[in-house]
Amino acid sequence: MTAGFLIGALLVLLLLRVPIAISLGLSSILTMLLFADQSLVALAQRFFSALQVYPLLSIPFFILAGALMTTGGVAKRMIAFANSLVGHFRGGLAMAALLACALFAAVSGSSPATVVAVGSIMIGGMARSGYTREFAAGMICNAGAIGILIPPSIVMVVYGAVTETSIGDLFIAGVVPGLMLTGMFMIAVAFLARRLNLPRQPRADWRTVLRTGREAIWGLLLVVIILGGIYSGIFTPTEAAAVSAVYAFVIAVFVYRDVGLRDVPRVIADAAKVTAMLMFIIANAYLFAFVLTTEQVPQTMSQWIVDLGLPPWAFLIMLNALLLIAGSFMEATSVVLIFAPIMFPIATALGIHPVHLGIIMTVNMEIGMVTPPVGLNLFVTSGIAKLPVTAVIRAAIPWLVVLLLALVIVTYVPWVSLVLPQWLN
Amino acid sequence: MSVPFVQRVLKAADRLEEIFMIVALTFMTVLTVFQVVLRYGFGTGIVWSLEATTYTFAWLVLIGMSYGVRTEAHIAVDLVTSRLSSGAARVFAFVALVCGLAYCALMIYGSSLFVERLMTLGTDARDIPLPRWVLTGLMPIAFVLLALRLVQAARPVLWPRPGKTINTGDAQ
Repeated sequence: MTAGFLIGALLVLLLLRVPIAISLGLSSILTMLLFADQSLVALAQRFFSALQVYPLLSIPFFILAGALMTTGGVAKRMIAFANSLVGHFRGGLAMAALLACALFAAVSGSSPATVVAVGSIMIGGMARSGYTREFAAGMICNAGAIGILIPPSIVMVVYGAVTETSIGDLFIAGVVPGLMLTGMFMIAVAFLARRLNLPRQPRADWRTVLRTGREAIWGLLLVVIILGGIYSGIFTPTEAAAVSAVYAFVIAVFVYRDVGLRDVPRVIADAAKVTAMLMFIIANAYLFAFVLTTEQVPQTMSQWIVDLGLPPWAFLIMLNALLLIAGSFMEATSVVLIFAPIMFPIATALGIHPVHLGIIMTVNMEIGMVTPPVGLNLFVTSGIAKLPVTAVIRAAIPWLVVLLLALVIVTYVPWVSLVLPQWLN
Repeated sequence: MSVPFVQRVLKAADRLEEIFMIVALTFMTVLTVFQVVLRYGFGTGIVWSLEATTYTFAWLVLIGMSYGVRTEAHIAVDLVTSRLSSGAARVFAFVALVCGLAYCALMIYGSSLFVERLMTLGTDARDIPLPRWVLTGLMPIAFVLLALRLVQAARPVLWPRPGKTINTGDAQ
């Protein structure tokens, strides 16, 4: 009853176009006032303490690093490198865009940011080289989702913070699935290239490959600093994030010199804005999760599912279905915040590894980013491709097949997620 | 109060908001990296560094809530509202504003009580030599600012100036 009111109120508020953050917060407060004997003070305290969770401090730093890298021309150089590697294949420019998404994902912890970085250059470029604008927009809208699978990743930070799973392990676990997904997109393009008779680029000589590679390497070193730093125990994930932000600043301003010192405050302001927007949602999602917990919802649901006696494979189907629905209506981090505490104990009881569960949730959230009504990648793509949102949705849907196939593989082949962290530990 | 005066105040507030956000994020980043440098370079550290970073982070988000309203950064679902006529859209916008203000009112009330309780307790923060209520005192103020920004953002939709067309968001 109480949980029903909570969820009902949330849905009504969302449909009224109340911002997601306020919808989460208001539905939690109303439920508290009507049904539970928790005070408003407890909620206010909860809200403030959510803003002081140490692992979450890495979010602004990762966003800042990504913002500096985006404006700093890193994306441009990564695209040039990717193009020199795969441009000569049929559909080569599309493959280069995919590869660039994977490369940029290694400096960016967010999907929409990856779409912006690669898409704002490549959608126009592909349209000029004989691709349709819809093809380019639909593909990059989906491929940008790799941003949260290849480390760093904001969604993984949130999952790690809530379930107390090692963020370093989650990051490294995302590498193989991320590369696999990139490969799957490439195969899809290679397949389409014959049918649509997509153009090729002239083959780049090895000197060009080396030169573009050397220019792109400064950006790629960022992920080496993050993973190397965390794994060698030099710093915590939060410190790694801060160091990577300063590194990005140095690269953008002094090495690539695409950003003047005068532009830096604007980039910082943008990063601060995105941080605040995201954390406002997260803090309210903490309230929502708090109400669920005081109402014993996670425990009841866990017990209910355990009593069903589902085998792990059936539980995983249910988990994916729930996450896909929630992911299309909500913003990714809040879905993780609300569902991770419910699913984590069940998964552990069924012998599913916490890191594996984290990767499954991340891939689900990737799909949520490209499905309406709340698909951030769709909105962002519509903005940079100058296409209406409805056109982007139509263009993006066929590519979902690739993402769904990847979800099935990641869900049922734990090896893909666990091979690297287990090998390293 | 004359209209230009109000606008000047609003403009100054906009600018202040933005400067605060930039300074806060820069301070957090530099302090965290500085701590790493001190640890490996000199084998020392600043005691209050971590706590200062977390409080700055909280303030950044609290001020950023209203900054996000002004810059239209907050995500909302426009599944229903994008299909409405302009009259119905106004009704929806009004209800959404009322919900937003109710949220602010409840949070202002709750956080004031929270800060008041900290005042009565009178404890200091862990490492920073300041009472905790001083460090959390921004919270009720931030929700007042959020309420003001919500009203400001809803104004063009709810009370359009005559002769101006209503912009109901994304054109299909």
